[in-house]
Amino acid sequence: MNGTPRQKLLWLILITVIVAIPFVTGSYVVGVMCFVAIFGGLALGMGLLLEQAGMFSLAHPTWFGLGGYVSGILAVRGIAPPWLGSIFGAVFVGLISYIIGAPLLRLKGYYLACATFGLLLIVEVALGQLGPLTGGNEGLMGIPPLSFGTFALETDVHYYYLSWVLCLGCLRFLYNLMDSRMGRAIKSFNDSEVAARSMGINVPRYKLKVFILTAVMASMIGSVYTFYLRFMQPSIFGFPLLVELVTMIIIGGGKTLYGPLLGAFVVMWLREAIHLTLGGLLPRMSAQVDALFFGIIIIVILIFMPGGLSGWIDGFLYFGRKVFGRTDG
Amino acid sequence: MDDILLHVRGLSKHFGGIKAVDEVTCAIKNRSIISMIGPNGAGKSTFINVVSGIYSPDVGRVYFQGEEITGVRAHEIAAKGIGRTFQLEELFGSLSVLENVMVGCHTRSRSDVLACGFSLPSARSEERRVRDEAMECLKEVGLEQRAHDSISRLPLGERKLVGVARALGMKPRLLMLDEPAGGRAAHEVERLVRLIYTLRDRGITLFIVEHNMPFVMSLSERVIVLDEGRKIAEGTPDEVRASEEVIKAYLGEEV
Amino acid sequence: MTLLSQIIQYAISGITSGSIYAVIGICWSLVYLITKVLNFTTGEFVMLGGMLTWGFRGAGFGLIPSVLFAISITILISMILERIAIRPVRFPSEMTYMMITIAAASVIKGVVLLGWGSETRTIPAFFGTEVIHLFGATMTSQILCVLGLLVIVTLGLSLFLNRTLFGKALRASAINVTGASLVGIDISRFRFFCFGLAGGLGAITGIVITPITFTGYEVGMLTGLKGLVAAIVGGWTMTGTMVAALMLGLLEGFGAGFISAGLKDVFSLLVMILFLIVRTMDFALWRGSVMR
Repeated sequence: MNGTPRQKLLWLILITVIVAIPFVTGSYVVGVMCFVAIFGGLALGMGLLLEQAGMFSLAHPTWFGLGGYVSGILAVRGIAPPWLGSIFGAVFVGLISYIIGAPLLRLKGYYLACATFGLLLIVEVALGQLGPLTGGNEGLMGIPPLSFGTFALETDVHYYYLSWVLCLGCLRFLYNLMDSRMGRAIKSFNDSEVAARSMGINVPRYKLKVFILTAVMASMIGSVYTFYLRFMQPSIFGFPLLVELVTMIIIGGGKTLYGPLLGAFVVMWLREAIHLTLGGLLPRMSAQVDALFFGIIIIVILIFMPGGLSGWIDGFLYFGRKVFGRTDG
Repeated sequence: MDDILLHVRGLSKHFGGIKAVDEVTCAIKNRSIISMIGPNGAGKSTFINVVSGIYSPDVGRVYFQGEEITGVRAHEIAAKGIGRTFQLEELFGSLSVLENVMVGCHTRSRSDVLACGFSLPSARSEERRVRDEAMECLKEVGLEQRAHDSISRLPLGERKLVGVARALGMKPRLLMLDEPAGGRAAHEVERLVRLIYTLRDRGITLFIVEHNMPFVMSLSERVIVLDEGRKIAEGTPDEVRASEEVIKAYLGEEV
Repeated sequence: MTLLSQIIQYAISGITSGSIYAVIGICWSLVYLITKVLNFTTGEFVMLGGMLTWGFRGAGFGLIPSVLFAISITILISMILERIAIRPVRFPSEMTYMMITIAAASVIKGVVLLGWGSETRTIPAFFGTEVIHLFGATMTSQILCVLGLLVIVTLGLSLFLNRTLFGKALRASAINVTGASLVGIDISRFRFFCFGLAGGLGAITGIVITPITFTGYEVGMLTGLKGLVAAIVGGWTMTGTMVAALMLGLLEGFGAGFISAGLKDVFSLLVMILFLIVRTMDFALWRGSVMR
């Protein structure tokens, strides 16, 4: 799947467009697209976990936040420069997801969802309570920007490119992974755990590996986000972020790997559209109000188009191939 | 010299109050074809599940190639060389036929998350080798032309064969087939019989759980009969056919 | 305060919240057992009960009419939810329902936020504000009302489920859906009814607790979640839920009092996680096997 000329062409087009955007549009678009990369990257990992691996973990925003907080705290206190702090954050998150993952991933379906949801809320509350360390509910402020040696990333454009490198890097990594032995193993235990185990696949161990992998990805994205905003707050990675990610996955369609990224694009711009048109009418706009609209979208899509946009696209392409006789039967 | 490949001693497995397998003892010789028969609910599938590690036994021991594997988990038992198929096929619907067989080859490669994710040369060459091995397995069961089809388009007989090809992927010493002939037409059963002889000649020991009597009786060197979890007879097909207990079990009290 | 009165004070607050969690837990169980839907809007029904009552009172209605309106509207919303968001799902799975109800909860929260802002609200205690003293601890008669509610609800539900034909039919379909529809029971009608019932009970709970703990658009999620914890730990049965809820409430009460008020919510969530994990361990140890 990776090597076909059509795939390579699509990647080339995508990369060209991404590189070109700051040159042809203004800082507003760059800013929004930067968020598309960041939250899209998050959604990619969560989409893999949910759809490909069948693991209903709602704790993704937590890894995002923890990664951000660890690197942010280390940077604010001058203990470690941002890039090193990000690595520490990833290690920290990797460790925690390993410790928590082993017992938690034995839970099935909705029980895992409930438990990880509980984890999400616990961490959010706990971070708010640890005032001296984390800045409490008001948040961690005065975080320095990301820098490599003497080059500091200061502008939107810098972070735009960094985020997209990270996001597309993750996408590429995940495509490679799913196309390989590991990917087959993941899809197989999602289809039939019994058969997978009988073929020599250590299912609990592989589930843990996928869990940790996506958590670490989320953590690195979280660190980039923290240094972009120069600010971190518990409410950023709570329930509204979860709803947003789920919306992206559902809109974009989880059956494909790129679906959630497409969903992120749609959701971010939809949010802008809503703010621009309705912002004047409604007394207040906030993450909670966004969640309202996303909630409606989730319900509509789950009922009328459960495969999401990418499901629709793939079905459309398949139909097209059938009509033009390029596929059997 | 005949050696014992699989030795099961006093195996018992209960669920709640029901003894699915009750103190079963048997020994399976290398390079032989052994069948296990019995009325519905006799415990045959449970037996396979215990030996292959899906369940661990409550009582008793299992030895494979002289090594004890009692209570060892399924994925480790697979790595030791015991392959199996399932009564309900349990194929992987999101993978193509060839990919299903490639999963069977999982234990024969080692690329891990990072190697696969970064598409390292080692991972890629392993992938090519596994793909070739899987194709060989498909050829063995005669389905190589279906390699890139999706599972849902295959008729039942071919699905079962994919299950066999998949199990062959791990180059097993012992292959356990759970109802391989179930619901298939005569010519398919013949094809299956030829396949089984071919596999035996290549050194694989076959353990077949089956309902289809003519199939079992014509093929097997020895037959084990289970009823309500207990072994009630064991011997050559003729011996078993003549056994009173067996007749009683299948037909009821008076014949 | 002496240690004894502290203990009693925290116990009172614990039993109060416990009773609330019990009724909410029962709302979760009712819906889940009959329809296999994990209804994440349960918490929002609680919030709506209180907020709507406050809203109507603010608009000039008397207490009783406000309460009645609030309950009816919540029941209506719950039934509408079932009709437009649950019924039409084409590939029903627990996870799909779960995501839909989480989304619906978002919508309800958002609407309340837009309509009434983010400050917490309250309604005056309608069971009087007499303060009762108990060994140095204080409680108001409103609290007694909460406890009384729990008793009435559980007794009423018991009677309903065990003595009436409709109730028995409900229990039957909870146990075996196919069997129930074979004897002519209309499952979707039941689902409709259960949603409505859960909505009503949730709203009543919210109304009764509002004078004590206030209400606001945020209230629904955590409270609802604790009801879920009680239902899960209680094994989805009525008595189990009640016991689990009371213990949860007490744990919270003592935890908040003796350890930290801010971490109050964390306790119940930790309980849920630990319980879920321990549950799987038990399973594995007993059976000595891992099944599909």
